[in-house]
Amino acid sequence: MKHITDDDLTLLFYGEHENPALAATVAESEELSARFDALCAELRLADSFVPPHRGDDYGADIWQKISPHLDGERVESSSRIKIWLASLSQPRFSLAGALSFVLVAALAFTLGRNGGQEVINDPGDPVNSTAATLANIDPNRLLTHSVSGHLEQVNLVLTQFANASETSASEAGYATDMLVANRLYRQAATTRGNHKLAAFLADLEPLLIELAYEAQSGSPATRERMQKEVRNGLLFRVRVMNKQLNKPQISV
Amino acid sequence: MGQTEQKIIRKAVAGDRAAFRELVLEHSHAMFRLAWRLSSNESAAEDIVQEAFIKAWRKIGSFRMESSFKSWLHRITVNTAMDYLRKQSRRKKFETEEPEWDPGLKSAEIPSHDTQIDIRKQTEAAMKGLSEIERSALLLKHFEGHSINEVAQILEITTGACKQAIFRAVKKMRIALRPLVTT
Repeated sequence: MKHITDDDLTLLFYGEHENPALAATVAESEELSARFDALCAELRLADSFVPPHRGDDYGADIWQKISPHLDGERVESSSRIKIWLASLSQPRFSLAGALSFVLVAALAFTLGRNGGQEVINDPGDPVNSTAATLANIDPNRLLTHSVSGHLEQVNLVLTQFANASETSASEAGYATDMLVANRLYRQAATTRGNHKLAAFLADLEPLLIELAYEAQSGSPATRERMQKEVRNGLLFRVRVMNKQLNKPQISV
Repeated sequence: MGQTEQKIIRKAVAGDRAAFRELVLEHSHAMFRLAWRLSSNESAAEDIVQEAFIKAWRKIGSFRMESSFKSWLHRITVNTAMDYLRKQSRRKKFETEEPEWDPGLKSAEIPSHDTQIDIRKQTEAAMKGLSEIERSALLLKHFEGHSINEVAQILEITTGACKQAIFRAVKKMRIALRPLVTT
């Protein structure tokens, strides 16, 4: 197997590694997991790089200062306007639960592909019986089940966020963890061809980024806008998606 | 990006000052955060934000609606910050020979932690140890959540060069921050 470098782990941290199996490889190896945990811990310290707060009227102040200078020459549009703004926001990721999921899914896939031929169903042998159980796991069901658990946590944190009048120190921490999980689940959904679920998780990510980095340092107006966004639709969508995931007959 | 903002952008592109004002109100906090992280200086960040918005107004006629407005604004902010900091650096060098932001500062030179650890200051010092391109790439990736391709577009470099800049930045930051990780 190719040596896993710290650069590979950095790409995994930012959810940009091209090899979807890397997360499972990391989760399988004690040494790689330790290296990955260290990278996460060190990079998370960078989150303390929080800018000073600016008040609600900051935008109006800026406008007042720049508006006298806007009479200069403008570059005029020459092309026909096509309207489509791509959504950005590819946030950072999370760990433990999501990595465990990736590991179990990878094992289930491998054992299932081998048809369980080498698995002896001896109920007295815990190793073989675990392997046999894993071989029978459907990775798609495992994915929906794991994402359902993830969405329950998201639902809980968003509900608390939507109703809290003040920021709490744990909010950003939860959001960062959820980002990690969300990214890994999104990648897993993409890999398994569940594009609807992947798209839904991608929609969730911008808000999780804001929660992780902006809710605490941003103005009360920013927080209010985010809370409104959560209350006016996102929370509902999370709950609906979670319900759909819990109905095994409905493909999402 | 909602349809409402698309309409506002279209109006601003057509020269509507009131529409541009809406965009300033919407994006000023985010622009300040980016400018502050790039400069590590409050008054510099204020100047950068104002200058970037003035440039944005002058150039908005050339904005292509199929691209992302946020990325477009970030590109202007990063370029403005780089110009600003180079000017400041030259001026300081001339005055004191001690630039406020020395991109050549190595992570190893960052003061090691002592009993009064201030993680934020250490992080800031570590950020100062990065080159312009490393710092910009890391900030856009880590805090702004852009993909590597988007960061490469904003910084007008290749994806490969962008990845290498992020890798170098991460390595330096890890070296500087490792002593602060509590086990």
